[in-house]
Amino acid sequence: MKVSVKLLQIFLFISPLFFSSTAYCQGKLTISGYIKDQGSGETLIGATVYVEEIENGTVSNVYGFYSISLDPGEYTVNYRYVGYESQVKKIVLNENTKVDIELGEAGEQLEEVVVTAEAENANVTSLEMSVNKLDIKTIQQIPSLLGEADLIRSIQLLPGVSTAGEGASGFNVRGGGVGQNLVLLDEAPVYNSSHLLGFFSVFNPDAVKDVKLIKGGIPAQYGGRLSSILDVRMKEGNMKKFSASGGVGTIFSRLTLEAPIVKNKGSFILAGRRSYADILARPFTASTSFSDAALYFYDVTLKSNYNIDEKNRIFLSGYFGRDVFNFDEGQGFSWGNTTTTLRWNHLFNERLFSNLTVFYSDYDYALKFGDDGEDEFSWDSRIINYSIKPEFTYYLNPNNELTFGGQAIFYDFKPAETSAISDGEVGSITLDDKYGLESALYIANQQTLSPKLTLQYGLRLSMFNYLGSSTAYEFDNPERGERRNPISSQEFGGLETIERYMNLEPRFNVKYQLNDNESIKASYNRMAQYIHLISNTTASNPLDVWTPSTNNIAPQKADQIALGYFRNFKKNQYEASVEVYYKKIHDLVDYIDGADLLINEFLEGDLLAGEGRAYGAEFYLKKNTGKFNGWISYTLARSERLVEGINNNEWYASRFDQLHNLSVVAFYELNERWTFSGNFAYNTGTPNTFPNSRIEVQGYVIPHSNNEARNNVRIPDYYRLDFSATLYRKKKPNRKNDSNWVFSIYNVLNRENPFSNYFTVSDEFRNSRETQAFQVAIFGSIIPAVSYNFKF
Amino acid sequence: MKRFFNIVFYHFILVSSIISIQSCETEIEPELAALEPLITVDAWLNSMSGEQVIHLAKTTAYFDSSEQPKISGASVSVSDNAGNTFVFDEAEPGKYTWARADSSSFITLNTSYNLEIVYEGDLYTAVSEARRSPVIDSIMVERREEELGQPEGYYAQFFAKDFEGEGDTYWIRTYKNDEFLSKPSEINIAYDAAFSAGGNFDGFTFINPIREGVNPFDEDENEEDLSPYVPGDRIRVEIWSTTEEAFYFLSDVANLTNREGGIQALFESPIYNTTTNVLVNNEESDKVVGFFNTSMVESMEKVIEEITE
Repeated sequence: MKVSVKLLQIFLFISPLFFSSTAYCQGKLTISGYIKDQGSGETLIGATVYVEEIENGTVSNVYGFYSISLDPGEYTVNYRYVGYESQVKKIVLNENTKVDIELGEAGEQLEEVVVTAEAENANVTSLEMSVNKLDIKTIQQIPSLLGEADLIRSIQLLPGVSTAGEGASGFNVRGGGVGQNLVLLDEAPVYNSSHLLGFFSVFNPDAVKDVKLIKGGIPAQYGGRLSSILDVRMKEGNMKKFSASGGVGTIFSRLTLEAPIVKNKGSFILAGRRSYADILARPFTASTSFSDAALYFYDVTLKSNYNIDEKNRIFLSGYFGRDVFNFDEGQGFSWGNTTTTLRWNHLFNERLFSNLTVFYSDYDYALKFGDDGEDEFSWDSRIINYSIKPEFTYYLNPNNELTFGGQAIFYDFKPAETSAISDGEVGSITLDDKYGLESALYIANQQTLSPKLTLQYGLRLSMFNYLGSSTAYEFDNPERGERRNPISSQEFGGLETIERYMNLEPRFNVKYQLNDNESIKASYNRMAQYIHLISNTTASNPLDVWTPSTNNIAPQKADQIALGYFRNFKKNQYEASVEVYYKKIHDLVDYIDGADLLINEFLEGDLLAGEGRAYGAEFYLKKNTGKFNGWISYTLARSERLVEGINNNEWYASRFDQLHNLSVVAFYELNERWTFSGNFAYNTGTPNTFPNSRIEVQGYVIPHSNNEARNNVRIPDYYRLDFSATLYRKKKPNRKNDSNWVFSIYNVLNRENPFSNYFTVSDEFRNSRETQAFQVAIFGSIIPAVSYNFKF
Repeated sequence: MKRFFNIVFYHFILVSSIISIQSCETEIEPELAALEPLITVDAWLNSMSGEQVIHLAKTTAYFDSSEQPKISGASVSVSDNAGNTFVFDEAEPGKYTWARADSSSFITLNTSYNLEIVYEGDLYTAVSEARRSPVIDSIMVERREEELGQPEGYYAQFFAKDFEGEGDTYWIRTYKNDEFLSKPSEINIAYDAAFSAGGNFDGFTFINPIREGVNPFDEDENEEDLSPYVPGDRIRVEIWSTTEEAFYFLSDVANLTNREGGIQALFESPIYNTTTNVLVNNEESDKVVGFFNTSMVESMEKVIEEITE
């Protein structure tokens, strides 16, 4: 505790230092405002504001706001955003000036504009590294499974991102686990990002505005997970007119409505999807014993915003999604996320922008077997969290942009509430709720030292209190790798601190501009993770639980360094980057052999702490403009673990380790009506655990590995080719509605891509001793699909 | 917990197949490096009459389906905490037996036992205890319509009640017409009245999936599902008490051998090594595998009778 007081003092001491430097910018004036899309009034995130006279500028923040302080004078300011027509403003600055800009989409003007529109060199000039952005239009063009544009499957085509295999939930970033990604939907965490296991993600692309994946150099404002931040921002809704869009696909139907509440002041967007394969299948199942089975998933996204005045704007957004699998009327299981976010943007003055976010997030699953009243089993589990997060950006001067703020998250973990009836006798077990409070304070400054050298340095102080009321156990200490049994317990009262952790997380980024087209960047970040996804299966599944750090589970920590070279060619038509990284993970959560992870009061005794390391090189080449564009991404990487009690206490490759990972994504616009897309994905086969000998006990043939190997054999390489073609409706002047048909073919090469192997005994007859090994492919065929999309 | 997953995902797969997410699989023949053979102790003694048997053999390569090499010439004995020693004789290579003239067993309730094997100068030891096993009240047979992918036919379930007090563990062994239901998917174990320690379901009648875990699901030559039982079949259910360690061993065996493939591959944990309770020269060793357990056994038999609607 002493340490924490000291750190807090340092923290408080540092902050005024930043403010004191305001002194020297007295006399400066500010140009500030919002940058928006001309057509819909949606704010634009990350638009460039470049002041020619000072050869410097800024970018709009996630709310579209920008601010730049300059000496009085005359300036030429360029406003630019990828895919939009740039605007140049002459501004005579003799008082603080508010300039709101609306940019028009390049493509909507004239055909040749697309070709000649100047591409941005933001990837070279910005400080950010290890960051990938995907705009929703790109996501919608990528050929997809069953023709449904999918955010998570799209980011898997980016460098440094992989997956354990087809159908696996989530994604892996730079050798980190699925549970080490912080997936944010309008700032609220989403605990399970998949529908139908890992086949579709929970984000409705029609309602998404911007997607940013941060793999390294993670700014101080983010924390709580080791490997990445997936920051998904929802659209705000059309500020100018009513519009609707939607689609009818093979698996979902989608509908999105957006409209102003008060024109140019407030708007809303409402988007929903539902799968209907079960309805289509009904004629075929009606006569079977599955006539009452139901399998569907849906999600609803709602967001509204209102500009109270020039200085205040509020946003309310919510997401509700659910997967339902019912075997019959009374039995089945379901899971889903609910999030609600309320945000308030407040401008204290032209230079001090603030946002206050309050959110609620809940992930739960429920299942029930038996419905005759004599024999039943039901189980509910959930993780609820409430958070408040004030953030401030202080635009000190063109050379310093200060961000600071904090966050507090209160967690309520409900691992299991079960009730069971066996032969008419009723029993129940409810595991104690576990509570935690994660809090953080951060401060960071982005400083331009010279036109060539930019730094961002920050510090995040994070704390976690594992709280009562709960029973805290002390466990024995057997040989590592074996189950630990409780030896004593202690009761703690409501909100009493059982265990406290604190971490100081330094963050650092630097960019050195070699010339207009070239820069080198480096970064370091330390991350701490206080809540853990508990899953020892190949792919994460909906029944996985999250658990807090406790007196027996230490927080996971990671240190990452990255170095990158960024270069653009041919007037920014091409952008290229090479990055190398090394990541070290401490207190990684692993599991004993045969761990019992569900409904286990003594779960902590089945967990192990280990170390992880991941390193690699990422190559990325992207063609931004022209009729033919796309990207190539190649990652050479390793992801390894060392856990006492596993693999003979030696380093082993993690289940999602892939030495080579290549993606090629290409788009070709043939003419006004036809666009073709293709993507090719290749990766080294992931490692599986193979036995080498057999034990025969009581007639069972049990696989055994003499050297206790884990992940010792690679499954064959994965590769897949997908195509799609989009047919647009003929463009006519003054036609407001638009529609298109998407024809897609997934897995054109008809490859049975192996997912894993398993070992078994031939089941032809009982007492067979003949062992067999099989390779499983989740999809073993070409999957064609057609979907229709409209907009008006 | 594996059992629990299997039940959940069995249904999941059935339902998924409606929307034609179908996986496929191919048999492969990987080359697995041959390794040092290990000593296997297979010693599951029980209170039933008849001879008590301990098998000793050596492990072989995983894909080698030939007979495992037997261990001959070991001296094998079991002693109890009352000071009695029961010497096992090698009846045939690798098979060590003990029998009384009246064919009764020496395994008695709440007695602990020490296994001692001397082989090639090494001493192999293990301890176990014969714990309580509940009486089976009845075996009920019903005739059911096809439901949720299970065929129409005769289904059995046994009724028995777990003892009050947490931590009783059982292995329910079922025989259909004297054939032991030995498929990995038919391993039926219970921790108190349910699947796992965390289930905390103590002192109740065994939960439904355990009671119904006595039904074999086989296919005929046309891959049509067969009714678990038909009139005239004889079902025998035995409840073997186990030590907690042996329960976890069996749980691992079920987890490692009952692998289904298909979409379930998404939810498999990696394979790992089973534990053993056998020590070599009083120390843990990775040169020995297998298990020593002593069980009290309760059983019941029933002949399936025709049920007319």
